[in-house]
Amino acid sequence: MFVRRYLIPRLLQYFLVIFLGITIVFFIPRFAPTNPVQRTIAELRSRGTYLNPADVEKMVEDLTRLYGLEGSWFEQYIDFWKRLFSGDFGISFFQFPVPVIDLIKNALPWTVGLLFVTTVLSWIIGNIIGGIAGYYNNKRWSRIMDGIVMFIRPIPYYIFALGLLILLAYVYRLFPIAGGHSLGRKPSFTISYILDVLRHAFLPALSLVILGAASWFQTSKLIVQNVNAEDFVQYAQLGGIKERKIMFKYVIRNAMLPQVTNLALSLGQILSGALITEIVFSYPGLGNLLFSAITTGDYNLIMGITALSILAITSLVLIIDLLYPLFDPRIKYK
Amino acid sequence: MENNASYVLKTRNLKAYYILDDLGKKKTVKAVDDVNLEIRKNEIYGIAGESGCGKTTLMKTLYALLKPPLRLIDGKVLYYRDGEEMDIYALDNEERRKLRWEYIAYIPQGAMSIFNPVLKIKETYRDFLDSHLSGKTRDEIFEIAREHIRQLGLPLKVLDSYPHQLSGGMRQRVAIALAALLKPAVIFADEPTTALDVVVQRGVVQLLNEIQDGLENTIILVTHDMGIHANITDRLAIMYAGKIIEEGNTDEIFDNPLHPYTKYLINSLPRFGDRGSRVSAPGNPPSLANLPGGCSFHPRCPHKMDICEKKIPELNDQGNGHKAACWLLNGGEGKDEGTS
Repeated sequence: MFVRRYLIPRLLQYFLVIFLGITIVFFIPRFAPTNPVQRTIAELRSRGTYLNPADVEKMVEDLTRLYGLEGSWFEQYIDFWKRLFSGDFGISFFQFPVPVIDLIKNALPWTVGLLFVTTVLSWIIGNIIGGIAGYYNNKRWSRIMDGIVMFIRPIPYYIFALGLLILLAYVYRLFPIAGGHSLGRKPSFTISYILDVLRHAFLPALSLVILGAASWFQTSKLIVQNVNAEDFVQYAQLGGIKERKIMFKYVIRNAMLPQVTNLALSLGQILSGALITEIVFSYPGLGNLLFSAITTGDYNLIMGITALSILAITSLVLIIDLLYPLFDPRIKYK
Repeated sequence: MENNASYVLKTRNLKAYYILDDLGKKKTVKAVDDVNLEIRKNEIYGIAGESGCGKTTLMKTLYALLKPPLRLIDGKVLYYRDGEEMDIYALDNEERRKLRWEYIAYIPQGAMSIFNPVLKIKETYRDFLDSHLSGKTRDEIFEIAREHIRQLGLPLKVLDSYPHQLSGGMRQRVAIALAALLKPAVIFADEPTTALDVVVQRGVVQLLNEIQDGLENTIILVTHDMGIHANITDRLAIMYAGKIIEEGNTDEIFDNPLHPYTKYLINSLPRFGDRGSRVSAPGNPPSLANLPGGCSFHPRCPHKMDICEKKIPELNDQGNGHKAACWLLNGGEGKDEGTS
């Protein structure tokens, strides 16, 4: 019953969304005004390399094949899917001739490590503090918190991040100014390397957690205040149920429901990278990579990163859809 | 005079107003205005009145459930427990929390949404029991809940249901059952039958009656449905514009209503064999924020006299504990026989 009436249609929808998303990803860069083959050759020439016309012709041919630009769009499209299933996104243009998949593999751990931790951390911090502040809405400290958050939250992220960087890395040199680890260090599982990575990740993480938690705080506080006025909370109060129990089991528990969905959506966005964070802090993650890919018209890389992030978001939404009845018994598969 | 031992709840000149700030202009809504109640042990006490006359506010005030903008302006709510007098507004938060459900319980209006939607009913039972009984294991608590549900003749499967899986009538019954859980001395029932169809209403009324028979406690029943009052209440108070205007034994009030408003209420009820059209009180209930001077009923009253616009009549005993507040009965002189 569940499988036929819910799971199969839901899975079909899942694959359809991925298919459409990736198709769009395939076509959009092809409408872009840059021709990557000409661009690569122009770049070589601009460095002063002499190319004779026969070689150029040969090169155009090779590059066209390498970039998957042979034949009509339809042929390219079929070819694109074939390669996709073997995990081959082609070769990057801007870091010629490294395969896209290798670039992604290098950048992925940095981004996932930084963003997964900060997303989850700010969700937990923001929701718990926001929930308690919402429950004790009339208390003085709750209003003070509200004021502080109201001040922090509208600061544009890049200004906040740059401010932190200037203050804590340049004026007071407590943290490194750029990079994911110290220059020239080889990744290893030693304590000193891990500490080095954490030291580099601290500022970007701090900027993300503070602004992230502030935003979760506000939504959570608002939802909790609404739940607080619900009949079942009043009923628990007039039934003399202990206050802690009302706060966690009645108010916050119910206020969490929409936030669970929001968490899944934010986690899904991890794979598109935190573009501004990674640029401001020169962090070697996917965001930085995507930025370079866009500025250099690197189709293959753009498609690789976007395809991955489409996969991540749709999969997380699917998982949440399947798990949601565990959180809310009113939701039934039908 | 009976002594305090036979009473469970008394109020003295109870006043609870909503103080609203309407664009810088202060507005006072006198929802409970100078109410003196004396409610006995082992009775079903009814409070009747139109929508917006302050019935629910009165219940909240008795239960000490005041939240701004509703404020207690004056007066006392006294409970009598084991011969001891307790002012509910003098208790600290923890004492008041314990008083609730153990000594006084509440069936709120609109049972449709009073249960936590993500908890099974047995979890709600557990929270109520946990907060008032100490040293019980999870299993013992569920056993108490099962026993309680069985005694009241409700289907056991409600315990394993989520609120949204129950019908409105069943939710109302569970709310009533929960109120009786810790055998409280007083149960407040605020419009328990409203929004239910008549067949389900009957079941709900029977359940209330059974509980009262079993526990021999006091039920304070608020409803605008005079039929229900006629069926189950022992004594009845009629509320109009925040005041009690008539009080007495239910039969007495139905047989011999004294206040013109009560007469309208009772005459508006259909009777067997009478095909004439029913007359209700003319006009609309007054706004509690802007009450007419004197007796608040005078703009709608067919027997209006000069004094009615000037002075508020007192609730006086007209014999047999049947009290009414009307200048017609006092001969316009305002003589004071009753105790307040």
